[in-house]
Formats: sequence, structure tokens, C-alpha cells
Amino acid sequence: MTFDKAVVADIERAAIHDGPGIRTTVFFKGCPLNCAWCHNPECKQKEPQEMFYPEKCIGCGMCKEGCFSGARIICGREMTAEEIFEQILEDKAYYFSDGGVTFSGGEPLIYPEVIKELIKKCKAENINTAAETSLALFDDELLGQLDLVMADFKIFDSEKHKKYTGITNDAIKKNFLKLDKLDVPFLVRTPIIPGVNDSIEEITEIRDYIKGFKNIIGYELLPYHPLGIAKQKALGLEEIRFKVPTKEKMEELRKYADLYR
Amino acid sequence: MLTYIDRIKILREKKIKDTLLKREQNGYTDLDDFGTVPLPKNYKVEPWFNSENGSFYGYDGMSENFCRVMDAHPPYVDPLEMLCGRWRDMLVNYRGDLHYMPDWRKAQLSDEDLAGVTNQWSKRWDEIRFPYDELKPLQKKYNIQTGIDGDAHLACDYSIGLSLGFGGFLEKINKYRAVNPDKKGFYDAEEKCVNAIIRFIDRHIEEIKRQLEIEEREEIRQNLEEMLETNLAIRLDKPKTFRQACQWVAYFNCASRVYTRDGAGFQLDTLLLPYYENDIKNGVLDDETAKFLIANLLLIDPHYYQVSGVDENDKDLTNHLSYLVLEAADMINISANLTVRVHENCDKEFLKKSAYYLLKNKNAWPRFCCDKTLTEGYMKNGISKEIARKRIAVGCNWMCVPGKEFPMNDTVKINIAKVLEQALIEMKSEDEKSTEKLFEIFTKHLTVAIEVTAKGINLHLDHQWEVTPELIMNLMMEDTLEKGLDISQCAKLYTIGVDGAGLAVVADSFGALETRVEQEKRLSWDEVYENLQNNFEGVKGERVRLMLNSSPKYCGGNTVSDKWAKRLTEVWVRKIKAQPMPDDRQLIPGWFSWSRTIEYGSVVGATPNGRKDGEPISHGANPNPHFRVDGSVTAQSSGIASVQCGYGNTAPLQLEFDPQLALDEKGVEIITKLILGHFKEGGTLININILDSDKLMAANKNPDLYPDLVVRVTGFTAYFASLSPEFRQLVVNRFLTNM
Repeated sequence: MTFDKAVVADIERAAIHDGPGIRTTVFFKGCPLNCAWCHNPECKQKEPQEMFYPEKCIGCGMCKEGCFSGARIICGREMTAEEIFEQILEDKAYYFSDGGVTFSGGEPLIYPEVIKELIKKCKAENINTAAETSLALFDDELLGQLDLVMADFKIFDSEKHKKYTGITNDAIKKNFLKLDKLDVPFLVRTPIIPGVNDSIEEITEIRDYIKGFKNIIGYELLPYHPLGIAKQKALGLEEIRFKVPTKEKMEELRKYADLYR
Repeated sequence: MLTYIDRIKILREKKIKDTLLKREQNGYTDLDDFGTVPLPKNYKVEPWFNSENGSFYGYDGMSENFCRVMDAHPPYVDPLEMLCGRWRDMLVNYRGDLHYMPDWRKAQLSDEDLAGVTNQWSKRWDEIRFPYDELKPLQKKYNIQTGIDGDAHLACDYSIGLSLGFGGFLEKINKYRAVNPDKKGFYDAEEKCVNAIIRFIDRHIEEIKRQLEIEEREEIRQNLEEMLETNLAIRLDKPKTFRQACQWVAYFNCASRVYTRDGAGFQLDTLLLPYYENDIKNGVLDDETAKFLIANLLLIDPHYYQVSGVDENDKDLTNHLSYLVLEAADMINISANLTVRVHENCDKEFLKKSAYYLLKNKNAWPRFCCDKTLTEGYMKNGISKEIARKRIAVGCNWMCVPGKEFPMNDTVKINIAKVLEQALIEMKSEDEKSTEKLFEIFTKHLTVAIEVTAKGINLHLDHQWEVTPELIMNLMMEDTLEKGLDISQCAKLYTIGVDGAGLAVVADSFGALETRVEQEKRLSWDEVYENLQNNFEGVKGERVRLMLNSSPKYCGGNTVSDKWAKRLTEVWVRKIKAQPMPDDRQLIPGWFSWSRTIEYGSVVGATPNGRKDGEPISHGANPNPHFRVDGSVTAQSSGIASVQCGYGNTAPLQLEFDPQLALDEKGVEIITKLILGHFKEGGTLININILDSDKLMAANKNPDLYPDLVVRVTGFTAYFASLSPEFRQLVVNRFLTNM
């Protein structure tokens, strides 16, 4: 791995749930966290990985010569900023003023050089840039150039955070303070995981921590969804399943996520 | 007191019941809803055959049978509506065409009679007088939809009819009969048809009077009295008010549908604007009533109407009535074929409102066409900007200049997957095998296919007037009544559309061969041929199929198959435009398969993109399923924008997806940007289905539970519950492609 390349799990065009407008989302591989509920488990490890979907196997016995059934696929390939940018440009006609690119993952900040290069190229083409980050890492030069940051605040209590994500959130909390000083609009998001952080107390604590920030533009609660389960299985990882929060639960919690409450 | 909303609710419920009853009478119909209502009991027409092959042709045959079918139509007066009249049956049901024949008609025929009907057009065309046996082998070889007796694919200039009225038609017929005494047969037939329409109106007048005698509810009585007044006013005279204009259009549309299923409408928001403005000025109309009238017109028939757009001086045509049309369509929210014409200076609020209704109702309306690409493209045929701007969206994939043009659009198609099959067969015996060689042979076969297609078109144009003269549409075309000629003989513009079908199958086939055989050398040509021959049988065959099918596809985004799709488009356009045509006729290329993907696929063997023998071909200019892992609608949009043929005909972007967007500012913005983005990239037309995934899947299991679900099958919309299981599955499969 060199600094001028990043391992990309996938590039999704026409993404409409990863920021404003129509966007291209680049899923970088590698993450310092290890969230139990991760819906992109293939993006945890930095190196390319094989994913195996046995139900697609046709039993030809020629795995070594290459699999074409979709049963064995390699997730992740090294790409330069130039190669990624080529794909970002594909949808330029659809971005208009608010759409653009979202760097996601995994944790995009583990590839600061590639992303800085991409931001430079995007700015030259007037393409809006955003990142989805855990804020476990911080790069003020990178984050300061973005048009939007979407940062996760998963659990308020540091030890509990460590239990479910593998690291404490002490640095993350500090990074929120640093982020607010960059004059970049940011959105805070909490994935709601039943049995982990789906309590009024949890949401209230997070809200109270973030509501005074001057550059915050919103606080969103995202319901857990089990889309990562099949991928966990395909990666040979332990299947960790949570309940999907009810609509009523989400509505109740959203009342407490109101920054003006 | 019943409000307009109450009345619409009842009419909508009645429409849903009618849809299910029509399915009982007709069987599954993989067609437009057409706005028909169920047939009454004991409905019967005795057709008059003037040909020994058991069909009818020409001025006599068409006018006589039009009268018989029209006269058999009972009046349709619903006191909750403001307009009256519905059609239920059409002439083609008596011309031996199994493709369109409803179950109730089949039940009237004996086994012996049915044995004589066909699944194609043979009895609609008078082969005894105008045979084309010499063309048939090549037409079959390349699976050409010939256009021979493809009727009604043109557009009337409704301003002619609205300025004359039915009485005015009769006066005009009489005037020019005296000028052209040698055309007596033509004028007699036209007169006979107009009189049948007037009789149809008269029966409605009698029915309204009958209902008035028994109706006691004051508000309903008032409506019936106004209905009577409207009908009496337009029986012969030209319409003067907005209500009269809508009623006049409704009657003309019923008649034109009965005759040849003509579904071409007009620029709804500008043509009716003077009536609207005049009535508003005179205080006899308000917006709520205007909306109810438009909703009523849309309920009567889902004709193709265009709204918004731009005039020849680049002035935006959007007006208050344009908004009312959308609001009316929303009010009734049934199968509708409204097209919004989008241009650079368009009213952005109007565009947003259009997108809003698409997202809100998820009933596949409106759709969108691009003024810039269509106008500039059509001008490349040597047409002025003024005329090109008047070429409006009036069909599934097609545009037409009302009153002037005879385009035969959407009736002529070449299945290029079949052309590829022929090229593969020929290359098999060649020493040299390569994609370049295959493309060379493909081009040679394509040239032959286009030549034979042109011969069929010319045969049709030379004789349509003797087979299926457009007696109803002639009333509102230029120079027809004046010269005593059918529009097929005297159109000012003969820009004939020829569509290619199967683009993605062919592009992906070339792409897969280049990737797997030439670049990676994973397969030999012999292995490819062997597997095509045995339809990828066995596990090894399946591996080969998957290898080919997993090659980068068309619409993948700068893939090898995208490159081939562009190259195929270039040769398609070049060959179509190079085809010599007599007189002032010229061919215009497009990509479109209509809803014939199953039928076209059934005659094509296995193809090198991993498609098995007999499977459907790709839909229009759309990519094959699984063209990208993310099913990106923007990738599809850009891919299709890159294969536009550029002469004013379309290669529609046909989208089926559930964007899971909320009905809010962001949702509407996303849809709007997708539309504008496609047109910025060079697209021409967007036929779009925004669907609720769960509802679609549940409706596919039990369609009767969702009788109000409307989908855009291809260019037209239809009730999902009326489609055959095969077509429902086709829509579902296309939907899954974008998931």
C-alpha cells in the first residue's frame, strides 16, 4: 500500500441517502472501529478480501480458474485518486449544486492523501464533497475542505462505546470539539441499535453534548438494519444480529434528538 | 350536495370496477387501458366483409364497418360526469387480428373462423390485392415488424376540428367534393363517418333527456341540463366554451379510437387555453370546474397529451392551464399518458410539480421529453425550427407534427438480436473469426434488413389508402379533404420512424466476446459456438454462460459494451439515413422495442451475452438486467443518453425503481435532477415508473388486490391487474434491475 492509492470496496453511483442531492459514494476499505452492528463489514479490514456466497455456486469445480457465478468475489481493489475521480465525474451531469461525492467506508480518513487529492480535483470541477466518518481519526486540513461532514456519535458512555465498537470514544468526543472549529457544516448521526443505545437517556446525553456546536446542522437517528448480516456470513465472520427498532421507537427517540428541545 | 372531489372519488371507484370487469370480458390485455368501458349484454356487430379473405378494406369497407360499430355503441351518460361518451369496441376486432382480439370477440367466432385469424397483421392488410410474398423471407429472417398496415401512428391537428365542428366537416366535405368530382368515393366515405359520429352524439342527447325525465336530485338535474345544452351546441357547430371543447374532443377521440385505436392527443394546455381564458373572462368557468372537466377528459381516454414546452420563438408555453392539467390528473389519478416537455428555460416550478405528482402517486405519470434534443435532432432532417418545435409527444416513444406528418412511428422495427444471430451463423463458416469480422458481417446483414424494411414501408405508403384509409384522422389533417386524398398520400412530411430492438443484447454480446474471447482468451470461438448451439447446457455450459454474462455490460459506465453500443448506434443511424427512399420520404432511426420483448426474444436463439434461447430481448434502449451491481439509475441514464440516434426520434430511458424517497423537497429535487441530468446528457424521453416495491411484489402475487395500480409498461400506462402474468413478471424483472 502506498500513500497515493486507497483500497476501495465499492463505488456506488446515484446514491441518494448519503448526503444532499444525487451523489457518488466511495466506500473505502479499512476502519479503526469494529462495530458489532456494522452494515458494511467488508469495509472493516483494509486489505482486499474474498466473499463467498455458497447459494450462487454452480459446482463447476473451477474456482481457481476464476468464479463467474458471483459465489466468490474479491472485495476491494487499490485505486489511485485519478481512477476514483474518473468514476466520480461519470455522474457530474446529475450533481447540480448540492449533489456530489461522499467519501464513506469503512473510515475514509485512513486515506488522507488520496482524499485530499480527490477534494482538490472535485473543487476544480465544482463538485460538492462530503464525508461519512466515525471521527476516530482527525485531519483538520482534510475535513476543513469538505462541504459537509456526517459524523457518527454512536454511544455516549466511553466504556460502553469500547465494548461495542472496540475503542473508547474519548478521542471522538474531542474530535467533535475540533470539528466545530473548522467552520464546516456537519451532521451528527446515531445508529439506533436496540439493546445498545435505544434509550432516551442515551440520545439525551448525546444531544446535550452536541447541541451547543455552532456548525452543527442537524442530528439524525438512523434505524439499525440487518443488511450487513449476509455480508458477515460471506466474509466468514460471526453473525451478529440485533433487532430492528420499531417505527414507534424511532419516533419517540427522534423527539429527544431535537437540538432545540 | 356532492362536491367535485366526491364525484371524482365515485368515478374513480367505478373505473376500478370497470377495469376488473373489462378483464373478465377481454381476458388479459398487454395494452394501453384505452379508457374503454365494459360492453353491455347482447352487444353484437355484424361486420360487412368486402374481401374474399374475410376482412374489409378501403373507403367502402372501412366506412361501412365504422358505421356498424359506432351505431352498435350504446350511449354512455353518467350524471356524475360533466362529459359523456365512451368507446368499447374497435374495427380491428373484426379484421382477423388475434393479437388485439378480446376474449368476448373470440367467443363469437367458431373454431373454423378462429383458425383463419392470425397473431399478426395478415388480414389487416389486403394481401390479395397487395401481396408482398417476395419480402417475407427476409422479413422473417431478421424478425422485422414491417409496418405494413400499421395504422393511426400519426397525429391530428385538433385546431382544425375545433374550428370547424362536425357540421363544419360536412360542409368542407361537400365543398371539396364539388372541386374534386373524381374523388367521390373518398368524400362519400368521409361523410358517412362524420354522420355516424353525429348519430352517436344524438343517442347521447336522447339518453340525457331520458335521464332528465327521471332524475330528481336538483344538482344532478342541473348538470344533465348543462350536459344536454353542451351536446346540442356541439352536435354540428364548433365548440365555443371550455366544456364544449372538452366534450367535442371526447367524442372525436371515441370515434378515432373505434376506427383505428388512434391515441395521439395534442398540446393540451395551449390548445384549450383560449376557451379557458374566454370562459374565465366571461365568468362562466372557475378553476375547480376546469379541473373537473380535464379530469373527466382524462377518464374518458388516456390519450397522449403534451403539456408545457416552448414555442418557435423560444417562449415558454407553461401557463395556468398547464398547472390545472397536472392538478386534474392528480385528482383522478388513473392511467394517464401526459408528457411534460422540458426545455432550457422551462418553468422550474412546473417541472418540480410534475416530479412531485410522479413521486406522490406512484402511478407512472407524467413522463418527460426533452425539447432541445428532439427539436435539434428533427431539424437535421431538413425541417425548420418552427415545424420541429411543433413535433409533440403523442405516442409510446414517438413524436409527430400534428396535421402535417405521416411518421408510421412505432410500427416499424428491426430485431437486431436476430440480425446478430444471422451474422453469427455466417461467421461460423469463415476462417477468420473476430469481433471485427462479426461486426462487418452484422453490418452487411443490417443493410439488407433495412433495405427490405424500406420496401415494406413503401408498399404500405403506396397502398394504405386502399386498405385502411385514415378516414377519421383525415378530418383533422392538412390537405386531405381539400385534395380528396388520404393522409397516407398527401402528408407534408414523410419522416418514417424505424426502431431497432435488442440493443443491449447485441452490445453486451460484442462486449462479452471481446472481453472473454479476445482480451482474456478464456474462451475460444469454437467453445462459444458450441455453447450457443447447445444453449449453454450442463454445468460447463452454465459456467460459460455466466462468464459471458458477467462481462462488463452496456450502461455499466464506459465499459467495453458501452463502446459497442455507441458503435452499433453509429452504424444503425448511418445505414438508416443512407437508405434511399422515393419521393420526399426519409427514414429516421430510433431504439425502441415497444412491449414486444417477449415476442422478439422467442425467435432468437442463445446469444453471446449469456442470454438463453428464447428468452426476452432487452427492453428498448435499456440495459440488460444486472448491468451494474448498484443498478445505478444515473449510469443507466448516461448510457442511454449516449446511444441517442439524433434525428428527432427517441431512445427512451425507461426506468422502474423505488427510490425510497420521502414525498418532500429532497425527494422531488432528486427526481427533478435525474430528469434534467438525463436531458443534459443528450436524452430524449423518459418513461418512468416510480413504484412502491412492497406494493408491486404483493400485486404480482395477487393483482386483484391492487386494481388501481398503474404501471408504465413501455410508452403506455396500463393497469397492472389487466396484464398477463408474463407481462407482470416482465415489469417486475425490469424493476428488480434497478434495485
